[in-house]
Amino acid sequence: MSEVLAHRSRALTPAETEELLRDRLGDGVLRSVVEYGMFTLWIDPSAWVEAATRCRDERLLGYDMFDSLFGVDAREAGFDVVAVLYSTSTGNRIVLRVRCEGGRDAPTLPSLSEVYRGANWMERETFDMFGVDFTGHPGLEPRILTVENFEGFPLRKDFHLAARVAKPWPGVAEPVELDEEGNVIEREVGLGDAPGPYELDKAMAAQAQQVNAPPAPAVQPEAGADDDDADPSAEVTASATATGATAGSDAPAAQAPVDEDRAARAKAKADERRRKQAEARAAKAKARAERAAGGEAPDAAPPSDTAADTTAADEPTTSAPAEAAPGASPDAGPDAGATEEASDDAAGTDASSAATSTPEDDRAARAKAKAEERRRKQAELRAARAKARADREDGEDDA
Amino acid sequence: MDQVELPKPVKYVFNWGRKYSLWCYNFGLACCAIEFIAASASRHDFIRHGVIPFAHGPRQADLLVISGTLTDKMAPAVKRLYEEMPEPKYTISFGSCANCGGPYWDSYSVTKGVDQIIPIDVYIPGCPPRPEALLDGIIALQERIQQESLPDRIAGRRLDPVTLGADTPLRLEAGA
Repeated sequence: MSEVLAHRSRALTPAETEELLRDRLGDGVLRSVVEYGMFTLWIDPSAWVEAATRCRDERLLGYDMFDSLFGVDAREAGFDVVAVLYSTSTGNRIVLRVRCEGGRDAPTLPSLSEVYRGANWMERETFDMFGVDFTGHPGLEPRILTVENFEGFPLRKDFHLAARVAKPWPGVAEPVELDEEGNVIEREVGLGDAPGPYELDKAMAAQAQQVNAPPAPAVQPEAGADDDDADPSAEVTASATATGATAGSDAPAAQAPVDEDRAARAKAKADERRRKQAEARAAKAKARAERAAGGEAPDAAPPSDTAADTTAADEPTTSAPAEAAPGASPDAGPDAGATEEASDDAAGTDASSAATSTPEDDRAARAKAKAEERRRKQAELRAARAKARADREDGEDDA
Repeated sequence: MDQVELPKPVKYVFNWGRKYSLWCYNFGLACCAIEFIAASASRHDFIRHGVIPFAHGPRQADLLVISGTLTDKMAPAVKRLYEEMPEPKYTISFGSCANCGGPYWDSYSVTKGVDQIIPIDVYIPGCPPRPEALLDGIIALQERIQQESLPDRIAGRRLDPVTLGADTPLRLEAGA
């Protein structure tokens, strides 16, 4: 490169640059645009190498650095190649863009590798991805980005992705979707809209839709605000869905059935609890009887269900008082013995009375039920774990 | 030696010694490699599990950790590297990309799973997995080594691969 007069203080404006290059190249410069803040010159393919050479050697331009080169799929029109040049002396950057000759079938373009050494590998990469044949290039093969025996040019729009053939794109839409008139469809992606082939996807979609569904009262008041006749229906739906969002003069009237409902539910819960206690007591008694009958001999191979039951009944005795709520603690250790049963019965009557009376009793009963449930779950888990361990040991013995 | 099982105590000590001196070769291919480095650094420090990172080369390594996106272009190198390792050798597939291609499931250039070219002992899911997950994976691998029978290994009989997070208590209950 000869001496360069270009300097930051004397950098040419885009208009001056275009004028200078038009003067040197004549019809080689097709048009100029400023896209994305970059001054872009469209060049005729026949003047491609000449344009790059001028950009490098013109003393007022001094584009001495080859920034990048890449391809663009122009669909029916074929392929574009874009080269970005930078001038270290003026700080200007210019984009040269050219449409390759040969259309989609055999795009060809003269190589810039004689002008800029750095263009060599970038043209190889462009060949890899778009299949543009750069004439005069020292060697486009073997491919440098893909494997050597790769078939096709993957960044072409008509390249088929094998995985996409087997499984469709799981998103809501491809990045850009056009309607019949060629306008871009803009869709707002909702949670759970994505059609997926998996059960988990479906479950998650259902869940998301349920969560996102507008609650009934949020919609109804708008109708009610306009005319007063719609008010009663809105209240009916609100109380029917039991969202508890109703407010206004009818509140006491709605309270009564709710109270009744709660009482009935509490009673049912108490019944259930009593039944469970009775079962547990029976299982306990059975286990005790078995133990007594068997003497010292441990149960060699009890059916897994009874094993789970006995562990469920026996094991929590040590930890139960700690984990149970203070109000429920006297009843929480169900294994103390015969005296316990009386108190159990008392608790049962307590619970049944709680269904009709004070909230404190109700709370205690609920805490007790919860503790019992927790204990039962732990016991089940422990039994399952023990069984798994036993199975594993059996397996090892076999091996 | 290659026909007969070692006596049980000898086998125990032998495997115990092997599982706590794993020279590890990290094939870092993408962001997962950063997590691997974090696992080898002071906070997580897998040397305390007897895993020695940054083996001098594949020929000195016992454990190969593939962490990151494996491309078709890189696949022959991984295959060759694995074949350079001396037996007994173990592999961990670290991260979704190494397991199955991960987010690049439809890419034209990504290998959809390292197990297409080499056998894997432990799969660690995540994108990327936390360093703790790698520690979990290493412990799972060490449990396998402790159970391993040398004649089986010499005869080329491998245990089924382990996938972290797939063997939950729930699964156990369902099977029981």
